Amino acid sequence: MKVLIIEDEPSLRNSIREYLEHQGFICEVAADFREAMDKVTDYEYDCIVADIGLPLGSGLDIIRELKVLKSKAGIIIISAKDSLEDKLGGLELGADDYLTKPFHLSELNARINALLRRKNFDGNTSITFFEITIIPSSKTVLVHDKSITLTGKEYQLLLYFIANQHRVVTKSALAGHLWGDAYDQAGSYDFIYTHIKNLRKKMLEAGGEDYIKTVYGTGYRFG
Amino acid sequence: MKLLTKTTVYFLLIMLPVFTAGAFYLFHKFNKEIKHETDEELVNDQLEWLRYLDTAHIDNPIFRFNTQEFQLTPTDKPVQKKYKLKGVHLYQETEDAQAPFRELSQVISIHGQNYQMVLRKSMIEKDDLLKNIIHVMLIAFGGLLCFVVISNWFISRNMWRPFYRSLDKIRQLQLNKMETPDFPQTPTHEFNQLNEALNQMTARIHQDYINMKELTEDAAHEMQTPLAITQSKLELLLQDENLSEEQLKNIGQTSEELQRLSRLNHNLLLLAKIENQQYPFTERPDLHQVIAKYLSLFEELIREKELNIETSLVPTAPWPLHPALADIMISNLLGNAIKYNYPEGHIQITLTTNTFTISNTSSLPEIPAANVFQRFKKNDQGYSNSNGLGLAIVKKIGESYHIRISYQYRNGLHIFTASC
Repeated sequence: MKVLIIEDEPSLRNSIREYLEHQGFICEVAADFREAMDKVTDYEYDCIVADIGLPLGSGLDIIRELKVLKSKAGIIIISAKDSLEDKLGGLELGADDYLTKPFHLSELNARINALLRRKNFDGNTSITFFEITIIPSSKTVLVHDKSITLTGKEYQLLLYFIANQHRVVTKSALAGHLWGDAYDQAGSYDFIYTHIKNLRKKMLEAGGEDYIKTVYGTGYRFG
Repeated sequence: MKLLTKTTVYFLLIMLPVFTAGAFYLFHKFNKEIKHETDEELVNDQLEWLRYLDTAHIDNPIFRFNTQEFQLTPTDKPVQKKYKLKGVHLYQETEDAQAPFRELSQVISIHGQNYQMVLRKSMIEKDDLLKNIIHVMLIAFGGLLCFVVISNWFISRNMWRPFYRSLDKIRQLQLNKMETPDFPQTPTHEFNQLNEALNQMTARIHQDYINMKELTEDAAHEMQTPLAITQSKLELLLQDENLSEEQLKNIGQTSEELQRLSRLNHNLLLLAKIENQQYPFTERPDLHQVIAKYLSLFEELIREKELNIETSLVPTAPWPLHPALADIMISNLLGNAIKYNYPEGHIQITLTTNTFTISNTSSLPEIPAANVFQRFKKNDQGYSNSNGLGLAIVKKIGESYHIRISYQYRNGLHIFTASC
């Protein structure tokens, strides 16, 4: 899976690249508008992560260009601008997703995974992690080929973990992923623990291994 | 009051006393003139009578006439050289009323005999005169008024047209539309001056608005970018397998604080944007749906605390709000009601077509009225997740969209009401 990261801030660009490469993506980077334009016209990517405010031009023009080229790449906008017009503008041009800075790398990764699943396979493929198999089209989860019933939140949690396997994901990243912007209304993240406990219990009951490890005071690691 | 109505009323107020004074002046003038004419006629008649009586036969018996018009009665009074004129009222049998007369009286001598001679002439009744004058005046006045009002209306309509056009433009002015209205040249000097001032003013406001919008957006960008970098670095750091538990915990806490900072930044920008009226609403979101959405979104939180929620909601309540702000308002109020509640507490939500009330139990005391909607006035130090802006944002949304937000503390319940 080839991902192009268009971001002018070198530190952020490298962080994203490092995180995504660890998750098995092949990453290319572009630091400004021209470089990005050269890359999108010359190569095919599965997914493009683009900042809007770039030196020498706007990320929105890159999206326009991609549409002209009839590119099949999934596009995720990352921007510090969070006004509704910016979001709608980006999505109207044909971006698939919009992520406001600052974001969790684990969240970006999960969204890229979800986008690629939708784009490339229409959801008709399964994700396998050892004895666990997920069929996204029917939202089915199999452990040792035996179907287990998960709630919506537990299912999303599992998908998030598998997208970010072997990485520490923070509780706030999980809360943000599952509850969106409103999660900061929560007094604590205690409620996440309940969902994790239930998910773990269901997997263990189906004979699976316990892959969810608690990272003290921070979050969880899967695998 | 409309300008046209106002000028008409002022015109009436000025004209009414003028016309009344005019009527009185005319009445007096006519009265005097009639009196004068009548007196002349009386004197004339007297001369005729005297001439006639002088030529009357010498052996005539003593004259004695007695009519209302002419009286001649013998008298012992001495002869008067000069006649007397005065006004009298005499009873009229036919009308059964007193009628005004002018009277000329003089004691004269006819062939050595003294006579009291009285000549009278009826005068037009003053009432009738007054009535007639008022009648005429009313017709003149009414006609003039109609004429003035109609011509005023036509003139005003034409003359004030540029003014109303400018007024319309100001009314429809929407800063976020990113365009400045252009007030055109008119044939009237004053309106040109007004439009020029308006052009300058709107251009300035528009420029300020753009500057403000750019500032908030730039500020967002400038602040969110370093936050994003730090956030990503911390997340990468967390992946280091060699970290001790203590180090992991520290990184985790730093990351939490960073998120708080980012939310704070986000909320401050949101406040600025609401204040800046950057959220025009074109469609009215259904508050019932918004409430339902957040009740299901906060389901876990509610279940975790085992809260008892009672709702009484009308099926549709389209509120004059931007959809994003309706979301923020409801999520902030409902979030607070959950956050500051105690386990197994109650929340009561009532929605009518124009009021939304949410009340919750809490172990916290009443919030002082002065602090409730103030920025950074935290109700409780125990919640590090709170940045003290939630209610300030709700209040600001209210102020910007003419929604009244109030807080009450009654029987241990914290009650927030929004009404539009």
